[in-house]
Amino acid sequence: MERVRGQAYVNKDPKALERILDDAFVNIDSNGKLQTKADVLAEVRTSTALHFSTESMAVHLHGNTAIVTGIFLIKGVAGGKPYVQRERFVDTWLFKDGQWISIAGLVTRIGQ
Amino acid sequence: MRTIGWLLILVCATSPPGWAQGPADSDATTAIRALEHEWVEAQSHNDNGALDLIFDNALVYIEYGRLVSKGDYLLRVRSAKPQLQQIVMEPLTVRTFGDTVIVIGSYRETSVKDGKPLLMRWRFVDTWVYDQGRWMLVAAGAAPLLK
Repeated sequence: MERVRGQAYVNKDPKALERILDDAFVNIDSNGKLQTKADVLAEVRTSTALHFSTESMAVHLHGNTAIVTGIFLIKGVAGGKPYVQRERFVDTWLFKDGQWISIAGLVTRIGQ
Repeated sequence: MRTIGWLLILVCATSPPGWAQGPADSDATTAIRALEHEWVEAQSHNDNGALDLIFDNALVYIEYGRLVSKGDYLLRVRSAKPQLQQIVMEPLTVRTFGDTVIVIGSYRETSVKDGKPLLMRWRFVDTWVYDQGRWMLVAAGAAPLLK
């Protein structure tokens, strides 16, 4: 599911994310900005990411709640300039109505 | 770390408009607000015993791009030296999903670096899970709010 999220940015495919983010989903990005589900979907539509991968991913289960931590690497081109983002994340997933959906996330820049 | 060496802690207990709670969630919301306050209080007094009770053993905490375990966190609290630091909590938002609760909030941190006051604003998200009759903090993280 985490890879689906990342790949949605590469493919500029908000529909892939729409079904795995709860309507009440909130994310805090590495600039401390609070994002709603609508904000994230809008960001995906205008994504400049070309490559996405994850590392050091770990899952902790607490009943019907899962905490996922890891590092993601995004490479892309913005304004004609290539960029690389390496950030650590923590996401909260909930098993709801027979499927896992993400209800919250936070990203911090490594070395920030 | 959110609360080491707090000199002054002000907690605003109101929610922003548009984040209202349903009556069925009010007990959980009240409990979680109290626990968030307890976390702040316990840490301000380097009270690892109290933190141990509200932190799940599998707690993961993320800050500055680093992953911090419960053991690491408690060790840092235990070894923290008093600092001249002021933390002002801003309004919290509590969202309930049955036995899981998400808390979103921000705080302003004033500290002294190289003899000069340094002001930072952070935004955080905490995840609490109701397990064996009590709420436990299972995940938390904070990111600096950049202008």
